[in-house]
Amino acid sequence: MIEFENVSVTLGEFRLNELSIRVKKGDYYFIIGPSGAGKTIILEAIAGLHHPDSGRVLIDGEDVSGVPPEKRKIALVYQDYSLFPHMSVGDNVAFGLKLQKIPKREIESRVDAVLCRFGIAHLKDRAPYTMSGGEQQRVALARALVTEPDILLLDEPLSAMDQVNRDKFVADLRAIHRENCLTIVHVTHSREEALSLATRVAVIIDGTLEQEGERDEVFRKPPNRRVGRFVGIENVFEGTVTGTGVGGSVVTVGGCNIRTGGAMPDGCRVCVFIRAADVSVRRADMIADDEYNCFPAKIEEIIPRESYYLLGISCGISLYALATEQEIKEKGLVPGQSVSVSFSPTAVHITREDTSSSSPSC
Amino acid sequence: MKRLSKVPDPCLLSFALIGSMIVILTVLALLTITIRQVTDLPYFISVATESKVVDAILLTMVAGLNAVVLLLIFGIPLAYILARTEFRGKGLVESIVDIPVMLPHTIAGIMVYILFMRRGIIGEPFSQIGIIFEGAYLGIVAAMFFVSSPYFVNAVRDGFEKVPVHLENAARTLGASRFQAFRMVVLPLSLRHIFSGSILAWGRGIGEFAAIIMIAYYPMVISTLIYYKFTTAGLRESTAVAFAMILVCLVVFAILRGLMKRVGKYDDRV
Repeated sequence: MIEFENVSVTLGEFRLNELSIRVKKGDYYFIIGPSGAGKTIILEAIAGLHHPDSGRVLIDGEDVSGVPPEKRKIALVYQDYSLFPHMSVGDNVAFGLKLQKIPKREIESRVDAVLCRFGIAHLKDRAPYTMSGGEQQRVALARALVTEPDILLLDEPLSAMDQVNRDKFVADLRAIHRENCLTIVHVTHSREEALSLATRVAVIIDGTLEQEGERDEVFRKPPNRRVGRFVGIENVFEGTVTGTGVGGSVVTVGGCNIRTGGAMPDGCRVCVFIRAADVSVRRADMIADDEYNCFPAKIEEIIPRESYYLLGISCGISLYALATEQEIKEKGLVPGQSVSVSFSPTAVHITREDTSSSSPSC
Repeated sequence: MKRLSKVPDPCLLSFALIGSMIVILTVLALLTITIRQVTDLPYFISVATESKVVDAILLTMVAGLNAVVLLLIFGIPLAYILARTEFRGKGLVESIVDIPVMLPHTIAGIMVYILFMRRGIIGEPFSQIGIIFEGAYLGIVAAMFFVSSPYFVNAVRDGFEKVPVHLENAARTLGASRFQAFRMVVLPLSLRHIFSGSILAWGRGIGEFAAIIMIAYYPMVISTLIYYKFTTAGLRESTAVAFAMILVCLVVFAILRGLMKRVGKYDDRV
């Protein structure tokens, strides 16, 4: 278990403000935030390569401030792979084992085993700089895992890979996490990586922890507009609570009365979050019932994405919905068409509007 | 297209003409000396094979090498500290390291002399255990060490700085202590810089004159001998000695440059 207690680090322009997080044993823990926010420093603080200006880092309940990196049983894989250029792939992987003074024969067999595991046995005698990024990343991971660390720290490991390699690597990471019951802390700016791998997620923006929790909670229920935007919630509105509905409140946003899952007091200024994936487009004559919010609407635009379509819809407010190609064909959706949109009140997440924003909160 | 490429860029052309002054100067001097010696080969050989000349050349080369060995021992740790740590007063330390570059060599000579003379703050305790710098081999080494240290330290420091910290960090998390990471990762990856720093320092050391004659006129290094011949025997003899040293230097540095191509070929890819 890794705990940060009010850890502050200042490094040049970057500042980490009193960060407190807790990574449990066996977690696949993601730290996500915009690029260039110095997330690497958090990993280096866990590894003991950076010392916090204040606060404590605990591993398994013990303050590790006096423990040097080589004694922490933590492996760190950097974004740039950091393979030793003067050693072959085999020597790179054997590096940690040689330091442990393990007999040559055992080193040999463990290196071979891990190279096999990652499908890079044929690269054993190659020099790192002659290989592709994907291959180098595999070597870096093999080198980190062969020493059997308790904790694996990953610094944007997928950012320099093409999509095909990335998908393969994500599958590898998932398998490693499952097989070895490893605690993994993975730093990235990519929501997609977090969605496909994380068990828990921390969102850090401008050096401050904005949210920490289970993956789905973080991606569905952001605490404020900043996080909502960052985790990619397509529909974010400002609204006012105007009444009570079934199991929640009614919020007025630009003339639409939206029923929500959570409840807030009347008159409260709130931020409304609805994921496009939760919005469905139906035939034009649907009427709202107790179960769904439903509004007459018009399709404004259809934007193709990698494996789905984003529909821009206006119903007094501008909403985004997702649709598959199949859906669009079956329903014959075209821009300008009249439809109705519906979404469940439980899919509508509300938070009090930030006090920092222009409108006063209640 | 073909035509265009043949028209020389006027800027590059004028730069080349102006810049060639420096090259011409050296070539002209070398040619003058060479022609004079080659046309009077028997005389050159008789001077160059004098035991005094051979001894002075050997002494200069060996003392320079000795200074480099000491720089390897003391300079590498300093270069690492300067490359990898931030501390208060670092700028001051950097300036102090650079002082021998800035100073006139006679001043460097006085600084070396007052430290290493028999009554000097370093010379005195050493003289009590029988180690003498004044007028001795070690004095020459001390002077060479002093004047060549900035060249060595700065070159090696550049090399250390070029090794990404991430490589060192990765080694640490794989179980290496700081020293092990230094020895197994940083050092091998900066071999070329250490090697070129050593050549630079050696060249600087064997070229020293002013600082050396103050602490050790005898035994004569090659510069002292050439100056001595110049003032006592005249231009003809001193030029012959100089040409002998030129030949030795050219051969040695040609060999070293050849060696350098083989050393640390990974450096470029760090």
